[in-house]
Amino acid sequence: MRVQLEPAKAPSPLRDALHTAALTLLMIPGAAKAQTPPAADHIDFTNLLYGEQSRTQVVEPIVRFTHLMADGQSISAQVGLDVITGSSPTGALPSGSVQTRTSASGHVITSPAGQIPMAPFHDTRLALEGEWKKPVSRYVITTVGGHFSREKDYQSLGVNGKISTDLMRRLVTITVGGGVSHDSVFPVGGTPAGLSDGTIIHTGGNAKDVTNVLLGASRILTRRWMVAVNGTQTYERGYLTEPYKMITIMGHVNGTPVGELTDKRPDTRNRTSLLFSSVYHPGDDVAYTSYRYYRDTWGVRSHTIDLKYRHDLGGQSYIEPLLRYYQQTAASFYTVGFLEGAPLPNFGTSDYRLGRLKTITVGGTYGFHPDFMAGELTIRGQYMRQSGDSSPPNAIGIQRKFDLSPPVNVFALVLGYSFDY
Amino acid sequence: MKVQMKRICRAAARPLLALTLLLIAGCTTVQPWDRDLLADKKMSFNASPMLLAIDEHIYFSKEASMGGMDAGGGGCGCN
Repeated sequence: MRVQLEPAKAPSPLRDALHTAALTLLMIPGAAKAQTPPAADHIDFTNLLYGEQSRTQVVEPIVRFTHLMADGQSISAQVGLDVITGSSPTGALPSGSVQTRTSASGHVITSPAGQIPMAPFHDTRLALEGEWKKPVSRYVITTVGGHFSREKDYQSLGVNGKISTDLMRRLVTITVGGGVSHDSVFPVGGTPAGLSDGTIIHTGGNAKDVTNVLLGASRILTRRWMVAVNGTQTYERGYLTEPYKMITIMGHVNGTPVGELTDKRPDTRNRTSLLFSSVYHPGDDVAYTSYRYYRDTWGVRSHTIDLKYRHDLGGQSYIEPLLRYYQQTAASFYTVGFLEGAPLPNFGTSDYRLGRLKTITVGGTYGFHPDFMAGELTIRGQYMRQSGDSSPPNAIGIQRKFDLSPPVNVFALVLGYSFDY
Repeated sequence: MKVQMKRICRAAARPLLALTLLLIAGCTTVQPWDRDLLADKKMSFNASPMLLAIDEHIYFSKEASMGGMDAGGGGCGCN
């Protein structure tokens, strides 16, 4: 357990001497035990307001209760609710005329000429999470947790655990962990056969199992600088297809849509990610930087750079601008559409999230302790812009005239409130 | 089974190499009484766990990548 101390104050020989004496005492087991924090309860509340321009809207309130015990253990429970409305791209291509079709959930979808077809949807997701953290010695902390979530067509149940140990006089912390999750996908209207015209093959659930392992290390480099590296490996098995997405069959003469087939993805996916993080304390501010490299067996490679800079404004308030850049390559079976009469591959998707993609996010957080109430309030606003491949090379005929991956503009506002009681 | 083990070993090789380099890199020792700044909550790699969880959820639903921060986490049919 890391000892929480007040931030550095103006230097003074007496304060420095007392400071050194106190911290030296904390290195003695008996003295350290006497310094353990008292039992306390803590509540975090956040509410996400998320909106994509002309697409999906989400409201997501989350509340988390944490009980801190005198011996350093903590137990927390979290409840979250996502209310999702709006529409999302079906994956199909635009046409030179108005397109009308009926979705699997029974909605009649009308798409204006020249615009990518969208499907309306509405869903509510309830998510429950719990976590128990227990120091098993002065240098070792174990954490176990579990989650359950349920929405109209998806359910997830999982457990996870990790163990962290401090080494080299607490200069290094090693973490090993893992989790398993058993999910079930039960599409509205039944599960369609992959790469078919939508023929329903059954109406029950489809299993999806996820296993995740984590190996991480952090190291203190200087009085003001810590770095960390985390590697995670995820194995997904089972139904990994997006049942509502479609792939257009393009007429071989001028690319006009002549039909649609359902999405079909492999039933295994192994994901590997490597995250390098740094926290640096220049003066009174804190700079957070990270870089993540990701690859998976579907052929997606991605690079993510995340920068945050926390500037204290005094009076326990701060501002923290953020900047994030993300880019990914397309999955090996991603296609803008199939050519009429051509032999079908084993797998295919036109989901833009598996295509070539870039995301830029800018925003900032403002945190403060209001005079009229206990606790901390935080407000985070961010703008995200996603851009894909607007003119992919295998688009033909009239498809070359259309913007096949119009930019997605996302606005998100998170309101947070934390307090002890 | 043997092939699966080989795959796991191959996947773990790079993180292990990176961890080893990280552990042996730098020979400076920061004494316990010099860790006042490091002990501050804002010096944590994840100073705002709930904000991070929300961000991860958003990016997971809009991009093809995931992972790096933690093991487990709530499942979602959003992607």
